[in-house]
Amino acid sequence: MKTLLAVLLVVLLGSLAWPASAPAQAQTTFAGRTITIIVGYPPGGGYDVMARLVARHLGRFLPGNPTVIVQNLPGAASVVAANQVFSAARPDGLTVGAVNRNLVLGQLVKAAGIRFDMARFAWIGSPATETTILALRADLPYRTPADLRRADPAPVIGATSVGGSTYDFPLLLKALAGFNLRLISGYRSSGDIMLAIERKEADGRAGSYSSIKAFIDRGLVRPLVRGFASVPAIERLPVDEDLVGDPRARAVMRLRSVPEVVGRPFLLPPGTPAEIVAAYREAFRRMVADPEFEAEAERAGFELKYTPGDQALRTVQEVLNAPPDVVRVFSQFFRFE
Amino acid sequence: MLLEAFVGALFEVLRWDALSFMLIGVVAGFWVGLLPGLGGGTTLALMLPFVYRMEPVAAFAFLLGMHSVVSTTGDITSILFGIPGEGTTAATILDGHAMAKRGEAGRALGAALASSLVGAIVGAGALLLAIPVVRPLVLTFGSPELFMLAVLGIAFIASLSGRRPRAILRGFLAGTLGLLLASVGQDPQAGHFRYTFGSLYLWDGLDLVPVLVGFFAIPEIIDLAVRGTAIAGEAPRGRLGGVGVGVRDAFRHFWLTVRCSLIGTYIGVVPGLGGGVAQWVAYAHAAQSVPPAERARFGHGDVRGVLGPGAANNSKEGGALVPTVAFGVPGSSAMAILLGAFLLVGLTPGPDMLTKHLNVTLAMVWTIVLANVVAVGGSLALLNHLARLTAIRGSLLIPILALLTFVGAYTANNSPADVVAMLFFGGLGYLMVRYQWPRAPLVLGFVLGEIAERYLWISVARYGAAWLARPVVLVLIALTAAVIASTLVQYRRAAARERSP
Repeated sequence: MKTLLAVLLVVLLGSLAWPASAPAQAQTTFAGRTITIIVGYPPGGGYDVMARLVARHLGRFLPGNPTVIVQNLPGAASVVAANQVFSAARPDGLTVGAVNRNLVLGQLVKAAGIRFDMARFAWIGSPATETTILALRADLPYRTPADLRRADPAPVIGATSVGGSTYDFPLLLKALAGFNLRLISGYRSSGDIMLAIERKEADGRAGSYSSIKAFIDRGLVRPLVRGFASVPAIERLPVDEDLVGDPRARAVMRLRSVPEVVGRPFLLPPGTPAEIVAAYREAFRRMVADPEFEAEAERAGFELKYTPGDQALRTVQEVLNAPPDVVRVFSQFFRFE
Repeated sequence: MLLEAFVGALFEVLRWDALSFMLIGVVAGFWVGLLPGLGGGTTLALMLPFVYRMEPVAAFAFLLGMHSVVSTTGDITSILFGIPGEGTTAATILDGHAMAKRGEAGRALGAALASSLVGAIVGAGALLLAIPVVRPLVLTFGSPELFMLAVLGIAFIASLSGRRPRAILRGFLAGTLGLLLASVGQDPQAGHFRYTFGSLYLWDGLDLVPVLVGFFAIPEIIDLAVRGTAIAGEAPRGRLGGVGVGVRDAFRHFWLTVRCSLIGTYIGVVPGLGGGVAQWVAYAHAAQSVPPAERARFGHGDVRGVLGPGAANNSKEGGALVPTVAFGVPGSSAMAILLGAFLLVGLTPGPDMLTKHLNVTLAMVWTIVLANVVAVGGSLALLNHLARLTAIRGSLLIPILALLTFVGAYTANNSPADVVAMLFFGGLGYLMVRYQWPRAPLVLGFVLGEIAERYLWISVARYGAAWLARPVVLVLIALTAAVIASTLVQYRRAAARERSP
């Protein structure tokens, strides 16, 4: 009983002290509130780790220093979570979505189950970019794109499933840039492909630079081509769209790459008041520049680069307004999942 | 040199900071294991943010301390209530809970804990011994070999079914249904939707946790309600204890316990099989090794059915650490999360972990062993009290069990559809129990079907028909044939003996 009283006392004192420490100039204040970040994936993956990292720090930068928690709502490559944030969450700034960067491509090719419009979310932006690269085993004689066009027999490229970036990036290189590749899909995870490369079942794979980096550093694989979005360490790699002459093929490759600029999308429900959106964008901008956040993000393997909400929204509109002939070719190669 | 490092690592784990973090982890893992639904992998992800500022040894003592006891205490819930405490401890229900219903909860718990400890030590020992030979150990298993391993596992269905032709037929039908259930969802090869009925929930396939929770817990709850007694029914009170008997059982069948530990370890070492498989293969192996004359009792409260999965679900963790540490390739979904922890504390998994950071790797070995010693010791002290729960009137327990079942299923994806899936498989499980269809083959088919399909596809796409000629594949084909043949021969002999007494 005594401990219960003590706890009550602490809670009471805490709730009295909290609003007092909030900045007085803020119009919007989240003092004493709890913000929930809904992640579209189960615990442990890249999106989840980023959301938990943001949850640890975001509170310090929002007016009123609210508590931020993470809730996992996995399912259908985060379509379930996006549907929830789009139509079920209240636009009061207390629910934030952290979803798949490729949802906009899913909307473009009219994938099943999507009941949201990416252009109507109130975009906070993205704290990081993701870059897709193609890497092959370093003991193989392939060093340039030209080597891969001439390759015989075709190197085996392992992929997880049809629709992931491990699959569609090499598929476009094969179909549009004339690379001679043999794609084998069905591996359970990118880690399993890496192991297949170690035992020479596969010769290489595509995937995010952050997930392959350790194996490049160890000398197992060598990067050959990158997508449009980039980070300084691989700035000088050949870009996929520069390897094709046809403007439509270029546009198709660009379409695949563009969402990677907005690598880790964070968004609010449609109709969220402008001042709340502004408070979030400002908080993210300051958070990404914060040394403590930077240090932890770097250890977790993220390539920090804040893409503000208005810019993210423009990117989304650019994708959704792609010319119909480009979309038609793109849909032949891309399968949302 | 290795020995010196090994002893040095023990003292690193015993330093006050690492030790206290490990104990916090063990206490957390104790509860995570007991509570259905809340799994070790999810909890690891929740604990990850705390390790940003820790030293590597302390961080892994914290995380592994939690994770390596989850399967130990998960067995307790499975045995006492028939609700899987963890997705990885469902196999102990079949015989363990049957024993609890006979009033032998103490003995079953003692056996589970003792075999858990043996399993943990074997698994940790494997991690230690694997250090010099880890590359060939992991790299000889390509996709064709993984496919054949899954087939070998499926072949055990024969021994899980019972001996009459009708029972064998039912076993194979249940196994086939399991294989079919494994195909629900978007297929990884061409991206087609199979049996999803336009539902987003089924995109990623059926989730193991709500399926297992419903499949095993609901029939038990209904049974408890129908009988109107306590779990241990009319069993004499005096037999509720017997923890010591169970512990002795683990040593009476010591060789079986060790074999199942090795099975678990090996399934852990080979990445790509997943954490839920080891217990079922070990259970099937235990069934296989029981003499045919005694097999009628297996599945209805045979202590060997507790020892097998009890050992394997602990030993697989040490095994799963091997590829995680040496290649940076996780051996299970929980290990994938642990991989994130390596980066957070500034380590890169890979060859360096076996040379430059050997002390951290060895400290992991010690953490697994010590955490399990603590957890098993703590549980043993409580066991006789826990076993008494089976003497509580059913009408008092049922609301609590139902709540645990619903919450446990719901936490899998935080989706109401989890509860629907749980109820559906609860109904199916009840009908199977009611009409005496064996449930284990269905689960075996369900957990192995996805693996078999995946690696058959990759094998054929990569090697054409040439994969069939690989030496390890040939050995596994021979083993599969031997498993099926020996089961059938055993049954035939037993039947012949019955005819001519």
